[in-house]
Amino acid sequence: MSQEQVYTVASDSDTTGDERSSAPFPEIAIGIDIGTSQCSLAVWNGSQVELIRNTRNQKLMKSYVTFRDESPVGGVSDQLSHEYEMLSGSSVFNMKRLIGRIDTDPIVSQASKTLPFLIQTLGIGVKPFIAALVNNMWRSTTPEEVLAIYLVELKALAEVGVKRPVRNVVLTVPAAFSRFQLTRISRACAMAGLHVVRLMPEPAAVALLYAQQQQLSVHDSGSEKVALIFNMGAGYSDVAIIVTAGGVSQMKGLAGSTVGGEDLLQNTMHYLLPNMENLFPNKIKSMGVLRVAAQDAIHKLSSQSKVQIDIDLGNGIKICKIIDLEEFEEANKEVFEKCASLVTRCLQDSKVNVEHIDDVILVGGCTNIPKVKNMVMGICKKNKIYPGINPLEAAVRGAALEGALAAGVNDPLGSLDLLTIQVNAHSIGIRANRDSFVPIIARNTTMPARREVVFTTAHDHQTEALIVVYEGDEEVVEKNYLLGYFKVVGIPLAPRGKPEINVCMDIDASNLLRVMVGVLMPGEQNPVVPPLEVRMPTADDGNGLTADVLNRSFGSTLDLVTLHNKMSR
Amino acid sequence: MSAFPIFRLPEVLNPVITTHQRHGFNRPKFPVSRCCMRNPAETRRNGGNYYELLGVSVDSNFKEIKESYRKLQKKYHPDIAGQEGHEHTLLLNEAYNVLMKDDLRKDYDASIGHVRVGFVGDSLDMGYSSWNGPFRPQALFVDEKACIGCRECVHNAHNTFIMDEIIGCARVNVQFGDDDTSIEVAVDSCPMNCIHWVEREELAILEYFNIPRPKQGHGVFGQGWERPQNVFMAAKTFQKQQQSQSQQKNVRCDVEQETEAQAQARESASLKLEMEKFSGLWEWVKKISAF
Repeated sequence: MSQEQVYTVASDSDTTGDERSSAPFPEIAIGIDIGTSQCSLAVWNGSQVELIRNTRNQKLMKSYVTFRDESPVGGVSDQLSHEYEMLSGSSVFNMKRLIGRIDTDPIVSQASKTLPFLIQTLGIGVKPFIAALVNNMWRSTTPEEVLAIYLVELKALAEVGVKRPVRNVVLTVPAAFSRFQLTRISRACAMAGLHVVRLMPEPAAVALLYAQQQQLSVHDSGSEKVALIFNMGAGYSDVAIIVTAGGVSQMKGLAGSTVGGEDLLQNTMHYLLPNMENLFPNKIKSMGVLRVAAQDAIHKLSSQSKVQIDIDLGNGIKICKIIDLEEFEEANKEVFEKCASLVTRCLQDSKVNVEHIDDVILVGGCTNIPKVKNMVMGICKKNKIYPGINPLEAAVRGAALEGALAAGVNDPLGSLDLLTIQVNAHSIGIRANRDSFVPIIARNTTMPARREVVFTTAHDHQTEALIVVYEGDEEVVEKNYLLGYFKVVGIPLAPRGKPEINVCMDIDASNLLRVMVGVLMPGEQNPVVPPLEVRMPTADDGNGLTADVLNRSFGSTLDLVTLHNKMSR
Repeated sequence: MSAFPIFRLPEVLNPVITTHQRHGFNRPKFPVSRCCMRNPAETRRNGGNYYELLGVSVDSNFKEIKESYRKLQKKYHPDIAGQEGHEHTLLLNEAYNVLMKDDLRKDYDASIGHVRVGFVGDSLDMGYSSWNGPFRPQALFVDEKACIGCRECVHNAHNTFIMDEIIGCARVNVQFGDDDTSIEVAVDSCPMNCIHWVEREELAILEYFNIPRPKQGHGVFGQGWERPQNVFMAAKTFQKQQQSQSQQKNVRCDVEQETEAQAQARESASLKLEMEKFSGLWEWVKKISAF
């Protein structure tokens, strides 16, 4: 095979690829959990995981950045005189919900109506315009910038906590994040001078913590335990099903969705003031008041059955209402249904029978809501929540464990003899058969993974084919995330359906995606053109127009169809 | 499996990986997947056997495979071993994926059985046939005592029948390894009419009795290999013994005038016991045949 040349194409937009090497680092990495509403820091102190507290002795810090005249201040060190100050228009928050999204995304347009700072959407598939009010002037910013400002403060706090410079971090991310969103998180870290050792899905971090607890409590390494992890925070929900034995937790299924406490909050705000969008002249202040009231109500409804709301929104609008649990649950019916379907889908995907689940682990602030709790426990047919895990600290503790593991730390007591074998949360495939998405690596495939599918040409004498790579789980290709595209040239003249175009994908443990394409003619032993190996871009160009343009320019002339409509093993 | 795997799984059997290697930012160059067209069987032989890869025996159960997989992952997973572990972990995942799924494992067993035909002597422990596709009510069985080793059946349906070169007779390797017509031709082509259609339930017992077993000798006399003169009779006798034993138990139960529920409970319990006995026998049989 020496006569064959192999072309390797590396992406020029890949700025973080080399740095994301999964090599173990001598320096123990800090675990960071960036939540939509709260953040926390933790580190392995040599014998156990320790949470780092800020100057006000808080373990959980509110995620927001306030822009001021001099310099922006984040929620790590900032002392809020009152919660309303955060909602005056100068503070930007919910970065995690907004990062890496374009303005056609329903999440962004919803946020633009309910967040007390400026989010403008043009609905054309570009970055939304986000700005904070400073001295009556709008200062534009991006979610990455806000996140970076916040991370700088976290970094400073961590350095005080561990008494040494901090560079390496392990971050937890929602399972629902696309690859480009992950890159944006890495970039925000880079802007803050932090190096991301791992980005791990939140349930994976919890799984690690659970595996450690099981290993320490159960000494028989042969016995295995099945656990369902449900995480619902302010911005995202994730479900994972893991099987743990001897410190190794194998993920059987992973699913994530952009549904969280923020949706509950928005729905409750709507419920309190149905026509709130076009009501306020001085939008921001009233919206802030309403937001605080709704948030307060949701918190109280976790422990009591009804709550009295009495607020003055100014401009003659007053809300005086009693909202009870039933009303709240009815207003958020859709959110709870989405959560339930996420859990059932994950159970189906992982082919785990509910009866075989030993423990149900609930993490994230929203699992405190009775309805959410009952829903998950009902599906799992359990009546006891796994008690050993703090729902608000589990993710960051897991991240800190991973930080120690990645540094190659050995614990004499064996409490670091751990491994999480992960699966990918989204299918990755290409566009074929006109507008359908053909997955090549299906979701819930154990990582690292390599799979291939054989395609063929759609037209007679087609010499070129466009490989458009998507990530997602929708059958219609447009509903998935476009990851990149490239062209295969030099296909020999042949009737349609003859050439075999073999598309192989490879994801390594650091989540790097490579696509390899080879063209074969039936009956011939060697590929007709040298196989093409492409490392896919890790960052997008910030607009969602590419797919449209590709479609307009080429139509179906460069299409592919599946030849063997079967996944290869 | 696609018909033409261009990008084969890498052929790393025992890569020397030192754990916790620190290679900082110098990511090693990816091993480029070479493009070649080999038939899958050949690839497998070169790429190593999945069982060998996972360090388990061919008849290991799911639990053993799982444990071994986890142990190996702790050594080779890229999270622990760094980027060098990538290719090997790919193989481990692939092997695990196949061996943990009944249908995939059967296909795989059939395909490595295929490779094994070449190895004389290896086929001795291949007394039991595997299934290609779903179970069917009937199965093929070669009465080896009657077989003269004419190779007709192997010639006509080579995916189903194989030749045991040591004993010199044919046997079923994969049930329904070929299409129905070639199987029919193969059955008809047998000059001794020693290929039988049997009930699926009987197959295991028949195959068990079909294998020659070492005979207990007295001193230097009488040792050797033997198998029942008539394998069908032997199987029937065995089944009868089983039945009469369970009947005896039932008779004893009747004497004691019990309620219907009690009788039912006893019945199911004795049935279960019988089943356990039987499966216990199979574990033993498997162990023997694994040598």
